[in-house]
Amino acid sequence: MIDIILQLIYAFVGSFGFALLYNIKLKRILPCSLGGMLAWGVYLAINHLMHNLFFAVFLASAFASFYSEISARVLKAPTTIFTIPALIPLVPGSSLFYTMQNAVLNHWDNVSYYALETVTFIGAITLGLSIVSALFKMFTKKKTVE
Amino acid sequence: MNEKQYLIKCLLDLGESLLLVGAEINRVEDSLTRVAKNYGAFKVDVFVLTSVINITVTFNDNSLETQTRRLNLQAVTDFKKIEELNALCRYCANMSICEFDENLHKLTDNSPKKIKQYIGSFLTAGGFALFFGGSIYDGILAGIFALLICFLQLHYSKICPNKVFFYLTSSLVIGLCIFLCTLLLPRFNSDMIIIGDIMLLIPGLAITNAVRDIIIGDTVSGLIKFSESLLWAISLAGGFMLAMSLWGGVFA
Repeated sequence: MIDIILQLIYAFVGSFGFALLYNIKLKRILPCSLGGMLAWGVYLAINHLMHNLFFAVFLASAFASFYSEISARVLKAPTTIFTIPALIPLVPGSSLFYTMQNAVLNHWDNVSYYALETVTFIGAITLGLSIVSALFKMFTKKKTVE
Repeated sequence: MNEKQYLIKCLLDLGESLLLVGAEINRVEDSLTRVAKNYGAFKVDVFVLTSVINITVTFNDNSLETQTRRLNLQAVTDFKKIEELNALCRYCANMSICEFDENLHKLTDNSPKKIKQYIGSFLTAGGFALFFGGSIYDGILAGIFALLICFLQLHYSKICPNKVFFYLTSSLVIGLCIFLCTLLLPRFNSDMIIIGDIMLLIPGLAITNAVRDIIIGDTVSGLIKFSESLLWAISLAGGFMLAMSLWGGVFA
């Protein structure tokens, strides 16, 4: 349990730093970094319940996209500035690193495992993000045409 | 330059600064169309790639005006400016075109504070080194190397406009520095430090955004961005791999 709480805190710090690095307005920084933490929480919960990596990342990214569309409308700011910090904890930095490390050490079985994991993460993130933002676009287009 | 040409010049400036701060293709096309309609356009045909903007505006009196802008820029994501530019587009109805141009240039002139970027890099790399299972010391060291990365991104990237070469050399240098540091201070774990610093450099979000563009309908622009960011990711990985095998060759 302590592990999970610590991970969530670190995800928050990471997203916070990323938002700061991208020069966010200071009054927006809290909702931004909260998004990263919550998305990672969704990932942990789903992965714990279903033991399915693709599905967990997919739902976490869909949640992150949903969260940023909602906060963009509530706080009246562009969607991207919430999406990017919310998705950053899902980016597979460690998988990419282990792919490289095993390639250098000539452990080719592990290379294909970690490379596939990296691709799975990227694919699932993209799919979740695209579906939710396409849905939002469908429903908001109607409003602006009226 | 007549009034219509001036309008299109302003639109291209707007598009250029939006792309420069990392806005999506979709947003750029939408904003240009909205602003052009506000200033008397009847029909706007705009096509944006990462390297070029084409725009043809049909005015109410059936006259046409076309301009193209070749872009040679390195996008530096800047959330504050995206927000401000977006607000400018939203409220352009109350401004004359000259005021719009003036405000646009005022916005694009201020650059982000460097201290913010340094602190952001430190927190990102430190946070993710811990996040992926490093100890608190790993986090601090990853943060210190992140300051070096930030320095490279601010200054070295100006000397080295070729991004592939930039990623290759900077990841090689940083990889070697990290290995050297962990040799001198054995209580640190080089894996976790590298992972934390990779999170800063990795174009994972660029890839994600590019694939989203492909799926959502801006297929051509998305494909260009996708291949570009894939190339960066490969050169980044190549740099770290080079550092690892160099280090392994010398000390193993």
